[in-house]
Amino acid sequence: MINITVRINGEERALCVPASRTLLDTLRNNLKLTGSKNACNQGVCGACTVLLDGMPVNACLVLAANVAGREIVTIEGLGEGGTLSPMQQAFVDAGAIQCGFCMSGMIVSATAFLAENPQPSRQEIRAALSGNLCRCSGYVRVIDAVILASERMGA
Amino acid sequence: MELHQPETIEQALALLAGDPGAMPLAGGATLVAMLNAELIEPSALISLAAIKELRTIEMLADGALRLGAMVSHADLAMEARLSGGHNVLRQAAAQIAHPSVRNIGTLGGAVAHGDPSSDLPAALVAVDAVIEMAGPAGKRSIAAGEFFEDYLTTALTEGEMVTAVRLPRLPENTAGHYEKFARVHGDYATLSVALILAMKGGECSYVRVALGSAGATPVRASEAEARLLGSALDGGTVQDAAQLLSEASDPIDDVRGSAEYRLMLVPRLLQRALNAAEACAP
Amino acid sequence: MSDIESAIGKSPPRLEAVEKAAGKAIYTGDMELPGMLHGALLTSPYPHARILSYDASAALALAGVKAVVTAEDITGGYIGLVCKDESALARGKVRYIGEPVAAVAALDEATARLAARLIEVEYEELPSATTVEQAMAEGAPVLHEDFADYAKIYQAPEDAGNLLARAEAVMGRGVDGFDEADIIVEGSYEVGAQYHAYMEPVSALASWGPDGRVTVWSSTQSIFRTQANIHEGLGIPMGKIRCIAPRIGGGFGAKAEVSGQLIAVMLARKAGAPVRLVLSRDEDMITMRARHPGTLRVKTGAKADGTLVAREMEVWLDAGAYADDSPAVMNLVLYYARGCYSIPHVRALGHAVYTNKLRLGAFRGFGNPQASFAAESQLDEIAEKLDIDPIELRIKNAIKAGEQWLGGQRITSCALVESLEKVRDASDWARPRPAPPGRKRALGVAAMTHTSAFLSSGAIVRLQGDGTVILNVGAVDIGQGSDTALSQMCAAALGLDIEQVSFATPDTDSAPYNYGTNASRVTYTVGQAVHQAAMQVRTQLLEHGAAMLECEPDELELRPGGRIGVNAEPARNAEVSFADIAGRSLWAVGGPITGSGSFIPNDPPDPQHTKLTGFLGLDALSVLTFGAQVVEIEIDEVTGAIEVLEAWCAHDVGRAINPGAVESQIQGGFVQGQGYALCEEMLWEDGRLVNPSFMDYKFPGTLDTPDKIHAIILETPEVSHPFSVKGVGEPPLVGAAPAINNAVSAATGLRLKQIPLTPERVLRALLAKG
Repeated sequence: MINITVRINGEERALCVPASRTLLDTLRNNLKLTGSKNACNQGVCGACTVLLDGMPVNACLVLAANVAGREIVTIEGLGEGGTLSPMQQAFVDAGAIQCGFCMSGMIVSATAFLAENPQPSRQEIRAALSGNLCRCSGYVRVIDAVILASERMGA
Repeated sequence: MELHQPETIEQALALLAGDPGAMPLAGGATLVAMLNAELIEPSALISLAAIKELRTIEMLADGALRLGAMVSHADLAMEARLSGGHNVLRQAAAQIAHPSVRNIGTLGGAVAHGDPSSDLPAALVAVDAVIEMAGPAGKRSIAAGEFFEDYLTTALTEGEMVTAVRLPRLPENTAGHYEKFARVHGDYATLSVALILAMKGGECSYVRVALGSAGATPVRASEAEARLLGSALDGGTVQDAAQLLSEASDPIDDVRGSAEYRLMLVPRLLQRALNAAEACAP
Repeated sequence: MSDIESAIGKSPPRLEAVEKAAGKAIYTGDMELPGMLHGALLTSPYPHARILSYDASAALALAGVKAVVTAEDITGGYIGLVCKDESALARGKVRYIGEPVAAVAALDEATARLAARLIEVEYEELPSATTVEQAMAEGAPVLHEDFADYAKIYQAPEDAGNLLARAEAVMGRGVDGFDEADIIVEGSYEVGAQYHAYMEPVSALASWGPDGRVTVWSSTQSIFRTQANIHEGLGIPMGKIRCIAPRIGGGFGAKAEVSGQLIAVMLARKAGAPVRLVLSRDEDMITMRARHPGTLRVKTGAKADGTLVAREMEVWLDAGAYADDSPAVMNLVLYYARGCYSIPHVRALGHAVYTNKLRLGAFRGFGNPQASFAAESQLDEIAEKLDIDPIELRIKNAIKAGEQWLGGQRITSCALVESLEKVRDASDWARPRPAPPGRKRALGVAAMTHTSAFLSSGAIVRLQGDGTVILNVGAVDIGQGSDTALSQMCAAALGLDIEQVSFATPDTDSAPYNYGTNASRVTYTVGQAVHQAAMQVRTQLLEHGAAMLECEPDELELRPGGRIGVNAEPARNAEVSFADIAGRSLWAVGGPITGSGSFIPNDPPDPQHTKLTGFLGLDALSVLTFGAQVVEIEIDEVTGAIEVLEAWCAHDVGRAINPGAVESQIQGGFVQGQGYALCEEMLWEDGRLVNPSFMDYKFPGTLDTPDKIHAIILETPEVSHPFSVKGVGEPPLVGAAPAINNAVSAATGLRLKQIPLTPERVLRALLAKG
């Protein structure tokens, strides 16, 4: 068991985890942040996407003990004080959300991408979200949501 | 299982030497997925994340480029110094999986894993990369073509780890192209062609070709390259070269394609890669 | 005032969209109860074997392990929707690699998994039959020796061997009708097994209370099927079983029948603590179910002028190790075999065969994708032979309202011709599609139909003290937006804003029966019950209003936002609010205002029209809705890869309650259909699933799908429904594979007969053609 401190959504959290525990497991089971989902556990589907020092990563591929001292942002940390972030709100307003299980990862990936590319084309958005699989939406409205967010945030 | 976080290569080697069941942990893109699937049971992981010198990219005196083992695929894909023929490596890195995996996956991790259907090994063979290793017996280097020995089997011996990849300077005016064909975007290649090409006066003046997903290791056929060299890359010559490459290949049947289909793709993707490289060759 | 008010036809965000966007939505795997244990499975390593003994001692000795269950802990009978041949855990025999044999409950998941591997099971391996050919061969090993004794709701073949079901439908003169044909085309088609790939793996949480009742939260499409299966499979009275649906991460048909719940209940009972069982992705792929693979021989006869005269289809479906929905799926392949055309003479024959592999079951389309791939592809062959445009051929033969479907049920409304015209025009069908060198582009079309009403549903609407209402329907929203659409219907019926309708969590304790969220049935079937319940509330509201305003009920009108006033006297300020009425009912006169509804379609087949043998009952299956799709594809002649560039999908939904949700369903369904057509295939080797992971089983992502999937919503009111609605969940998937295949034919001249159309298959065909 390893004692570590990580910054999750702006808060220092002290944890004691086995070396083999993934960041995803740690978020869900130690910290009860269940927004990030386990849908494949092998880094293919993106449902577990979180930001590690601002970079989208698959939390299922990261060992918690290996990210001590780094900054992690999850879906729960995107909004502020109970208000949805502009990206989260755009996903709601564009009707992109169906079953919702892929959406935490999708929204986190989109958020990081838009921060680097505030005026993306639809094809660029598709490339950025190519690691976020969705089985319900057919993706069109997901791209619409990111465009909507970029329009609102650019204004 | 223990997790160690050494800050120098020497510390990492000492830890590896002290525990035969320990494995180096680079980005985790492959290793952690295997751990999750309970396919491996290391007694310890030696994380390389804190070893700064493994992240450097430096131009050497002789014009070679040294890439530290912990350079991420994302950084490789954005590295402007991978120009000319070295573009093949940049393009290969850019097509690995998807963005979030590229953010954590590393050059050294991919090299040490030695999966012939992943994207970097073929590109590294094509650029005549040299794999630098360190171990209990000290440092040594080996050409990429010899480093990949068999399926998931490399020249690394007990206690050794990859520390860097050195890219020798390529001749002037080379262009590089990585042609990857997969079932869907982000999948492992059904077949890939890593190509470096230079043309002079309408004739091929330099060429290297390596195939991914065509055998237990990246497939290279010097006879194929010899055939192309000096030619105008006409259809007949390309077919001959493709035939030689196919003869050197030994692909398998798997969910991404049958062996036969992969061989069908060799001449087709080789032609496609040559067209693309020729178009950007100065 | 019309029943249909402002809440319908708008696209408010889903009721639960905000919590999902916030990452706060609670799915079964997110739930935790005090003292909760974690479950893990031990599954069969053999495709066919007798279970001789169990030894759980090593597992039980592991620290943290609280209980182990095997078939010896089963206290009930067999389960199965149409044929009761299954149990919670393998009983006496295992019949597929991956069949759950035992389960463990432990303090943490890692311990439970480790312990599961320590359970020793002694097997006697038996010869296996892992394909239909092997299972039907002379002397084949029999999977279900007691098949004749299983309770079934259909007439099963006698001396069946491994033949689970056989059915036939004959209309008109059957195969004799081919003598009217000037041309006949015949072909054999092969369809692969598609995995649902819902993002949320199967999960169940069971907790026994001190009152001897068990509460089960699970990722399910039907709280009532879950309850029924637990009741039958474990012998627990229904009154002691409470099933609740938290948020569900997709289902697509896989989660309507048993999905881990019985095992969780057994573990929780034995361990004396709540148990949560969440499958890993590979476990989900190996243990659950997938779409039926199979072969379809199809024959179509037509006159020289393009009139279709006869159709024959013979299908062999691989049913896997347990019956599940297979007889019904096979029946529906036959039901859709004719296609949406007035073909007078039809013979459709179907077989479903037990094999030693994963059970195959319901998946969006339920037999229709298989039938339509074959039949709609063949129709284009007919069109080519007769030199008639494929859309014109379909329009010429299009079935019409008033005609009878296979089985004899009458079509109440039909927008087929309109759908075809819409996609023809929207896609600019006649315009040639040039392509860059080395590539070919073309358009392809397919038409489809699917039912909208199936089995029964109830609804309860209650007026709350503040004048808002609570809608209780037991219909699970699996992501398709039914919570929202049903609330919109309820709001519309009562003139309320959607915010004034609360949607109760589906809970068998309080909800009226609902068969499930599947079969594209919820909008129509549950909508009927919702309307009835709302109308009962409306009647009571008007009675109170009349008393309070001193007039007759028929002088009153509902006003937006929950008020009642006098007709044609807006100036008279006397109005009463729903809250006023609630107060009167609760404290003075009348009692609590509640409305209830109950609906089951009843549309019996006509034996004079179609001779049906071996079919399940079709009486409660009805309301066909029609649509058409055109896709534009580009083929890379170098690799054989097909790219879908654009799709036009016209679907008649009767009336779009929430047009945004309808559009989303169309886009999502199309993409699932694209996956079925191009890249999705579960592969087995000697009964072992070769690709049980998302690494190896691929479905389309953002870079594999078109940015332009045009959802063209048609609204031809369904007269049998107070809200005029029809279903839309399944049709968008059904059309994709044949439309894509027909586009490939148009581009290359190839007539491919196997899906998925992998690049390898396409390239081989291109080279063979020369």
